[in-house]
Amino acid sequence: MLIPALALLLGTQPAAVAQEAERVVIEKGHVDLGPRFVDGKWTVQLRDDTGGSPQWRALSDVVLHVPDAAKTTVPDDQAYAFLGDRGSAVWVLPQVEQNGVVWPGWNTQDPEVAKTVDREVTWRLHGVRGPGRFALFLTGNFGAPQQIFTSGATTPQETGVEVGTHVHGNWVFSAPGTYLLDVEMSTRTKDRRELSDRRALRVHVGNTDPRAAFDVPAAQAEQPRAESPEPSAGFPWPWAGLGGLALVVVVAAVVVVRRRRGER
Amino acid sequence: MQVRAFSRAIGAVLVVLLAGCGTADGGAPDGVTVVTTTEILADLVRNVGGDRVRVDSLVPPGGDPHSYEPVPADAKKVAKADVTFTNHLLLEEQRLIKAIDANIRPGTPNASLAEASETYGAHVIPLVENIGLDVLWLGLRVRGDGKDKGATRTSDIKLTATAVEGPGAMVAYLTETLGKPVVYFDSRDGLSDTDSTTLPPAAHTHINWAFTKPGVYRLTLAASLIRAEGAEPTPLGTSTFTFAVGVTPAGVAKTVLAEGHTDLTIDLDSGELYTLNDVAGGGNQHVVAAADAVIEVPNKAIVTIPDDPRFSFLGQAGGTVHQLPQAVLGKHVHGEIDPHLWQNVRNGRAYVELIRDTMRGADPAGAEVYDRNARAYLDRLDELDAHVRETVSRIPRERRQLITTHDGFGYFAAAYEMTVAGFVVPNPAQEPSVEDVRKLSETVRNLKVPAVFMEPNLAQRASVLSQVAKDQSVDVCVLYGDSFDNRVRSYVDMMRHNADEVHRCLV
Repeated sequence: MLIPALALLLGTQPAAVAQEAERVVIEKGHVDLGPRFVDGKWTVQLRDDTGGSPQWRALSDVVLHVPDAAKTTVPDDQAYAFLGDRGSAVWVLPQVEQNGVVWPGWNTQDPEVAKTVDREVTWRLHGVRGPGRFALFLTGNFGAPQQIFTSGATTPQETGVEVGTHVHGNWVFSAPGTYLLDVEMSTRTKDRRELSDRRALRVHVGNTDPRAAFDVPAAQAEQPRAESPEPSAGFPWPWAGLGGLALVVVVAAVVVVRRRRGER
Repeated sequence: MQVRAFSRAIGAVLVVLLAGCGTADGGAPDGVTVVTTTEILADLVRNVGGDRVRVDSLVPPGGDPHSYEPVPADAKKVAKADVTFTNHLLLEEQRLIKAIDANIRPGTPNASLAEASETYGAHVIPLVENIGLDVLWLGLRVRGDGKDKGATRTSDIKLTATAVEGPGAMVAYLTETLGKPVVYFDSRDGLSDTDSTTLPPAAHTHINWAFTKPGVYRLTLAASLIRAEGAEPTPLGTSTFTFAVGVTPAGVAKTVLAEGHTDLTIDLDSGELYTLNDVAGGGNQHVVAAADAVIEVPNKAIVTIPDDPRFSFLGQAGGTVHQLPQAVLGKHVHGEIDPHLWQNVRNGRAYVELIRDTMRGADPAGAEVYDRNARAYLDRLDELDAHVRETVSRIPRERRQLITTHDGFGYFAAAYEMTVAGFVVPNPAQEPSVEDVRKLSETVRNLKVPAVFMEPNLAQRASVLSQVAKDQSVDVCVLYGDSFDNRVRSYVDMMRHNADEVHRCLV
């Protein structure tokens, strides 16, 4: 769906812009978070396999919706105490595809990424803003949970994703509402360049309107921290909206230029 | 040309004179003083530096760099060094690295070879954390949307196990998010229509694949399409997939599937069942027909059945199964590399080039000497690499199995096409558990290897390996990993010995 204001502002072919600026709520099927090169720039995006053919989307254009159908309770098992008190409600997007629920994973399989990256990508969680806790973990063969991220622990937390791989885990939320996951993917290339990109992934939990999540600005998700280790790695939250706009402008310009060239 | 050579010679004389002045001020009287952590690095430096350098290794001859703790004399050696070389934190005992960092004179070149040599073309492999996860990741997939067969997004594709042939039983199951196992196919009690699962079009899933005894298994899967809920299934196709469980897959089928990601896949458009594969490191997915593929379930995939009634379908608690796991994240240590790079001679070559350039930087007057020595030595290493490769290639592929005291031969195996079938413990500083020992025994027995390999510097720690070898009546041979001994005094001798020894003991 196109944001009308932008279309007016740009005054270009709506169809061409719509492809890039479309905002979608994804509530079933397969998606992957992952890095790729957008106009040569290392960017964290979401690969959307829910349509006819795979499409990479800007994180600012996507809300993952976790309906109440995904609601369950924390089991009576000490191994899962990190999810909350036993018997308390949790919303779970499982590691294995479950019909009717979105199946998010993460991958480093984009061909240019696979070609460029040296060994692995570091995935960091800088923080979570939302009404409850967030956890990402893996279930191994005999059920022992392997924690990757938990919003209760100190951030940033990080995990490694080997190049050319694709992984799924369990995404757990402890209360309904909108969550913004402040994620960063960084790597070192084979020719020794350091690349990094930091974005907000929106997840809406519960049967209320998921589109409301688009209205939560990324800026709110991050309190300015006292100790900011590398300013360059910091996500320019206040500029997120404008950044998205800039991207649209660039895309539109490219489209126009291409068309003109074609006319010559 | 001649003019340049002449001026360079003048330059060299000047620098020697200047260096001479330095000596008078208490500098190194016998040339450049180099300290390395290990004997192997010292040998490489000696080959580059020749008479120009005096090289000392902190770890004494035959010592184990994983456990060697520095003594006060080491601090003195480091303080006098003009250049130091270490391998990598994960090889040397941490106190050894600290002894260098704390005592080195400011401004002294201190090269950590393992990672830095990557820019010289060294091939680096990640450090294995859990060898049981360093196996094929096997799933089930429905490919295509099946529109021409009347499938819709609400259709289901049913996969049924109709036959399992093999020495034991096969159980495929999923452990759900919160720890509950759900069995898909279980041949222990025979097979029926309940040994099935359904997936929607274009879906894929990952499950555990357990086998109760080693040997070759053949699983027949039948796929059918259920267009809508309650509709009669329409048969799509049937295929038989082959697994080599604990035994060598070589010769069982044309293509061995041993790493990366594979799905047993029903193609809705063609109705065929085949394997769809993507290997780690990228590249496109490729199809291997069921009849041409053998799925390897190696002995490192042996797991102990937990004492949990929910998993009793696998057998008695405390017993073992070979199992490909449903999740493989965590097989490697994030951000870490296997430190034993030199076991691939081409990496040894990269070390030498890095040593040459470091020495040139520290002692520009010797640049020509270092260049000349390095060139001659690199030629020898090229011959050595060819010799190792040729020697190992004469071992039949199914016999190229390495069972060692510690996980120090990953590079050797990767470079010269062998398989690391097992080791007592990943790091020699660790003690093996009862499970480790049992897994090792089963590995030796299942693969019927003629020999296992001990490292001479770990002889005192090799009692477990010797006992297992004795129990299974196999030979104990010698491979040099991290250090030399009285018989092997150089890197070239060491690699030559290793190649000849695996050939002698495994053929």
